[in-house]
Amino acid sequence: MYSEQNVDIIPEKWYNIVPDLPEPLPPPRDHDPENSSIDLLNRILPKEVLRQEFTSSRYEPIPQEVIEQYMQIGRPTPLIRAKNLERFLKFNGKIFFKYEGATVTGSHKINTALPQAYYAANEGVQEVVTETGAGQWGTATALAATLNGIKSTVFMVKVSYEQKPLRKKIMNLYGAQVYASPSNMTDYGKKILAKDPEHPGTLGIAISEAVQYSLDHDMRYLLGSVENCVITHQTVIGQETVKQLEAIGEKADTLIGCVGGGSNFSGFTFPFIKTDVEMIATAASEVPKFSKGKYAYDMIDTAGILPELKMFSLGADFVPKSIYAGGLRYHGAAPALSLLIRKGRIKTDEVGESQSLEAFKIFSRTQGIVPAPESSHAIATAINYCRNPENQGKTVVINVSGHGLLDLSFVRD
Amino acid sequence: MPYPDRETFQSFLDDLLGMRFDYLEIGIPTEKPYYDGPVIRRTHRKAMEGFSFQYLKEVVHISRSRGKKNYALVYYNHFHEDVDGFLDKIMDSGLEGAIVPDLLTDYYDEREYLSEEFRKRNISLIPFFTSSTPDKVITEMLGLTDGWIYHGLQPSTGIRVPVSIDKMVSRIKSLCGNREIIFGFGINSAETISELKRYGADGIAVGSSLVPYMESNDHEGFSREVRMLQDGVYD
Ligand SMILES: Cc1ncc(COP(=O)(O)O)c(C=O)c1O
Repeated sequence: MYSEQNVDIIPEKWYNIVPDLPEPLPPPRDHDPENSSIDLLNRILPKEVLRQEFTSSRYEPIPQEVIEQYMQIGRPTPLIRAKNLERFLKFNGKIFFKYEGATVTGSHKINTALPQAYYAANEGVQEVVTETGAGQWGTATALAATLNGIKSTVFMVKVSYEQKPLRKKIMNLYGAQVYASPSNMTDYGKKILAKDPEHPGTLGIAISEAVQYSLDHDMRYLLGSVENCVITHQTVIGQETVKQLEAIGEKADTLIGCVGGGSNFSGFTFPFIKTDVEMIATAASEVPKFSKGKYAYDMIDTAGILPELKMFSLGADFVPKSIYAGGLRYHGAAPALSLLIRKGRIKTDEVGESQSLEAFKIFSRTQGIVPAPESSHAIATAINYCRNPENQGKTVVINVSGHGLLDLSFVRD
Repeated sequence: MPYPDRETFQSFLDDLLGMRFDYLEIGIPTEKPYYDGPVIRRTHRKAMEGFSFQYLKEVVHISRSRGKKNYALVYYNHFHEDVDGFLDKIMDSGLEGAIVPDLLTDYYDEREYLSEEFRKRNISLIPFFTSSTPDKVITEMLGLTDGWIYHGLQPSTGIRVPVSIDKMVSRIKSLCGNREIIFGFGINSAETISELKRYGADGIAVGSSLVPYMESNDHEGFSREVRMLQDGVYD
């Protein structure tokens, strides 16, 4: 994975889908009529990240330094044909998977952590702050910060902090300061703890704490998902996949991925948007944002510090069941993805924990790769899809967004 | 308009009408000015008290007599329940047309209908685009309208996030050909204006940066601010 043979697979530009959407992307809105949360972003995000968030450019050049960092963390990631899974399912089409678990932090999250930390460091920022649910995003931020010579602080949702001690260890190893959220480090955290000292935490609360902490200490906040520029960065996944399929003379009929905030799915599929490929986005049944969520303006973080976005959402105060796929517990989904779902261009599926666990086992036993619990949801959709006789003969590509080696505590037998 | 009240508004309008500009953009106050920043939002709330169509008609009449063309800035959420009645009043007030900033984002499916209603009355629907308007939507709207184009520099008025002006202007110019393009939203410095002009902007619109002078009834400051901005336009 560290060989430089395939480096020309890494794209030189990120792709921004906004100019190619069928309808205008609804802009962010202020939650509080007296203040501008959009203006506040100037104090929260690195300048270049903010510029990219609202750009009209279809392509954004990837800085040479970031391309080099992409190579260092294992890009391009492999596209692998899952022949054993095909045989197991008696599927006479082809199943490929793009394996984002092959990056050093074990998921796609590093694809956007690197440029954001790079831009922050370039602008003289000394320390970055973020939140993490499952721990994948925090790990990526911690590594990206060290690689760019700056410090990091991570607010980790309390249930995950307690369930996944190894995640905290890795973040510490990469030099990050990690707090369980809700914490005593911010006024918002204190307020929640005062009401309920045992509050398990949510991603929405952790985001609020991280944003407030960065404002209080004049640091910069890194965005893990949902926002458009994050998706733009994640298009390295799909652009590599396009080239890798081309190189072996294959054409995808169907792309499948999982959705938390929507970054891995959108980064994987958006570079294919001008083709007629079928796209299926899988959420967790326990977080049924597609079937039960509303397509409307909603808050990104529970405290409403960040601007509201129009998206499929269950409401910012939705407290999901503590399923293992912590990365799928977010209440909303990226606006561009939500719009394309609304327009019918992207289909959706929702998969429950037991079904995803089954897929997790099948994939581990057939392919040897232990997928992340989040990715297992996409695999479950793919398995159902390939078992449907109508889909025989098709070429299916799954985005396996991460590995699950640090999530094994949930496997009971 | 009228902000902060009719009398003050009229006195600043008098100042303004003596200065060099072509188009007067008249904001029709509304409850939900979603794409305005805090400054303009504040003016909407206050201006609702003094607004009437009769008064609008008077203001447009004065401005026309001084050789200016007049356009309304009005949210579709303000009149979508009575499009006919509202557009009749716009036509009757002597306005040349209107900018409807929430049409494409919040009422996309009504764009053809609304363009037709404008055309029937011989008033211009000024297309409002931003960085997040897709290419295809821009091209289609150009076909549905004529007259100039309003392009938002920022995601809302009165705020400033970093933008690459060169890329933004060249993109919209390449899509809009010879149509006149005017930039607004968050413009408050002569440097920004000369940069916009350098890359091919045909005009600029300002609002938020003038509001504080009207609030403190500072006519001198108001004129100074306009002259400062005009240095960028006519340098
Ligand atoms: C491995 C993995 N996959 C998927 C997700 C979901 O996020 P997104 O939808 O932004 O890709 C996460 C988030 O933590 C994750 O860690």
